[in-house]
Amino acid sequence: MRQGAAPLALAGLPLAFLLVVLVAPAVRLVAEGWPTDGHSLQALWAPWQDDYLRWRMVWSFLQALLTCAAALVLGLPLAWVLARLEFRGRSLVLRALMLPFVVPTLVAALGVLTLMGPHGVLVQLGGPDLQGTAWLLLYGNLFFNLCVVVRAGTDALEQVSASRLAAARTLGASPWRAFWRVEWPAIAPWLMSALCLVFLYCFAGFGLALVLGGQRYATVEVEIYTLVAHELQLGQAGVLALWMLMLTALVAWGYAAIERQLATPGRADRQPRQRPQGAGHWLLLVVALGVFMLICALPLVAIAWKAIISGAFLSSGEHAAWRVLLEEDTRMALWNTLRFSFSAVVLATVLGLAHALAARRSLALRTLVFLPFLVSPVMVAFGLLLLYPSWTGNALLLVCAYALLAYPFVAKSVASALDSMPLYYLQAARSLGASPWRAFWRVTLPLLAPALRRGVAFAAATAVGEFAVSLFLSRPEWATLTTLIYQHLGRPGAANLDAAMVLACLLMALTMGTFALIEWRGSREPDHA
Amino acid sequence: MLELRSIHKTWEPRRGERRPLLNGVELRVASGQTVAILGASGCGKSTLLKIVAGLEAPDSGTVWMDGQDITRMPPEQRHFALMFQDFALFPHLTVQDNVAFGLVEQGIRKAQARSQAVEMLRRFGMEAFALSRVWQLSGGEQQRVALARALITRPRVLLLDEPFSALDAELRVHLREEFRQHITAHGMATLWVTHDEAEARAVAQVGWRLEQGVLQALWGA
Repeated sequence: MRQGAAPLALAGLPLAFLLVVLVAPAVRLVAEGWPTDGHSLQALWAPWQDDYLRWRMVWSFLQALLTCAAALVLGLPLAWVLARLEFRGRSLVLRALMLPFVVPTLVAALGVLTLMGPHGVLVQLGGPDLQGTAWLLLYGNLFFNLCVVVRAGTDALEQVSASRLAAARTLGASPWRAFWRVEWPAIAPWLMSALCLVFLYCFAGFGLALVLGGQRYATVEVEIYTLVAHELQLGQAGVLALWMLMLTALVAWGYAAIERQLATPGRADRQPRQRPQGAGHWLLLVVALGVFMLICALPLVAIAWKAIISGAFLSSGEHAAWRVLLEEDTRMALWNTLRFSFSAVVLATVLGLAHALAARRSLALRTLVFLPFLVSPVMVAFGLLLLYPSWTGNALLLVCAYALLAYPFVAKSVASALDSMPLYYLQAARSLGASPWRAFWRVTLPLLAPALRRGVAFAAATAVGEFAVSLFLSRPEWATLTTLIYQHLGRPGAANLDAAMVLACLLMALTMGTFALIEWRGSREPDHA
Repeated sequence: MLELRSIHKTWEPRRGERRPLLNGVELRVASGQTVAILGASGCGKSTLLKIVAGLEAPDSGTVWMDGQDITRMPPEQRHFALMFQDFALFPHLTVQDNVAFGLVEQGIRKAQARSQAVEMLRRFGMEAFALSRVWQLSGGEQQRVALARALITRPRVLLLDEPFSALDAELRVHLREEFRQHITAHGMATLWVTHDEAEARAVAQVGWRLEQGVLQALWGA
């Protein structure tokens, strides 16, 4: 039947938004770094000729690569355990794996410092002080990215056909051989796709590298921020930004190519999960859960514990650190966080829904959903600063930047739900007398509601914990909780560190609370019957 | 009287390649008559039903209802009912709201539509499930709800697409007799698509086989 012009009209809104808030600033950014005369061609290569900048580029690449390797080695056993074994607490672990998606970067960075920093748990237990080494950043990267690999691996393993595995076993393959000859080839593309994402996240990482990288192990994104915010060298920052855009585009292209092959998931007869049998299973289970606790849970536990300890006692000699919660600055930052995030989430919901509905029949539109993921928040903020200097006093710019980073979560979630929604629901509604609009209102929208809620929950968590854009675009009167934490970290003294811990705890509670509030109802609803 | 006149439809197995699916289909179904269409999987039976329902447009040819050309009429204005192979019950609605769906679309108030839906469910012995969710029902129960939903608006034409393919053999025999009685009681033109000839002969006065895009008479034509 006629599909009408509605999807195209819907596409106009997100496309216009992307053009104004992402593409135009990115083009302006490229123009800033692009050579304009004969000598400037040399400037384009300057980052590779300067020892300091070359190290920044190489290290950014290297730390992303190392994180990918570690995430694969540590994540695969955990994914296998979650996909193949049935044990008490399995669903809890699966839910907890969502936490790193929700926890703000700064909170995670403080969690890592609490564990491995100068006064951290490791030092108190007689271990080495890892401040100033690469381990802090790599550990922080793993905290955020292990779950990406584990979730992809678990989902992929659940797609492996049970009858194929059974055939392999009856043809003489041991479980180990069956894994390598049947399961691994089936899941490898999914893992590669996840690793591309991990690489992109780490390569373009900012918050963790700013707090944990120190002088030697900071990334190119941190260097760009330093050049813009502290040294006012926009030209050099532009050249670095240009290289970052090119390199991320290259990886993103690889990611898109792999994703395209994964676009048709099969309806496999699933291999049922079994209770652990034998020493091998139990050993694998213990190791996998140990990895999960060490990497995904420990930083969060540490920060909560540290905040309670430092908050409750008079660590600074005068006030308990919890007093920071009553300060005027904190109240203002909390209010700013809430109002900016709320505005951004409303905008992101409208944009995400429109984009997903419009992208249903267009591969090109669907690919564009990923665009905001591919340009780092630092690039977005830098580009906006360059293109709209007169708008930097308007909070709308900040809200739009938040919405840009948040709305792909809504669009992706709704698009996936639309894909899995059988066409016959809509056809049944039409044949029962519903017009296209009524069928959308009475059937499509209610069926999309759980996915929409989930997407909005991720968008809200992203907005509440946003750091890079806030740091770039924020003015003193717009300080959010993340920028306030960063201010406390930049001030000397244990009292400020304690205050930062307490504020980080507040931010963590706020993001998790927001996420749970929005997502909780959706999680109780069953899948389509 | 439902009439299909020279319906043609092609499909595109690969980009740039078109193959004929329906090749000049001619068919008449009178009010109160049940016509069965048999055919192998992928022969175009379901596409034919969707063309009748208005969910797909033919490449050429026309669909007529009581002397009116309805080929370009949107599905919601045809006042037909289509029962899907997978039931297509809405999982976000209760059983009674599923059945009441079409009545609400006709502008009947929700409360009244619900009470009519419960009455309809009573005729199917399903009133105890009125407030259940559809995923709580067995396959046979879901099938009854789907038929109740289709019949409640008293459609001019009932279209059934392999209605029992998801059920086991014993339940199929039991349900097809029950369905036949309900359909006869409502007296609308019924087009019943199936690949099971025994089922078709048990319910339909006229039988056709769809093969290579054209209908061949089997019985009653």
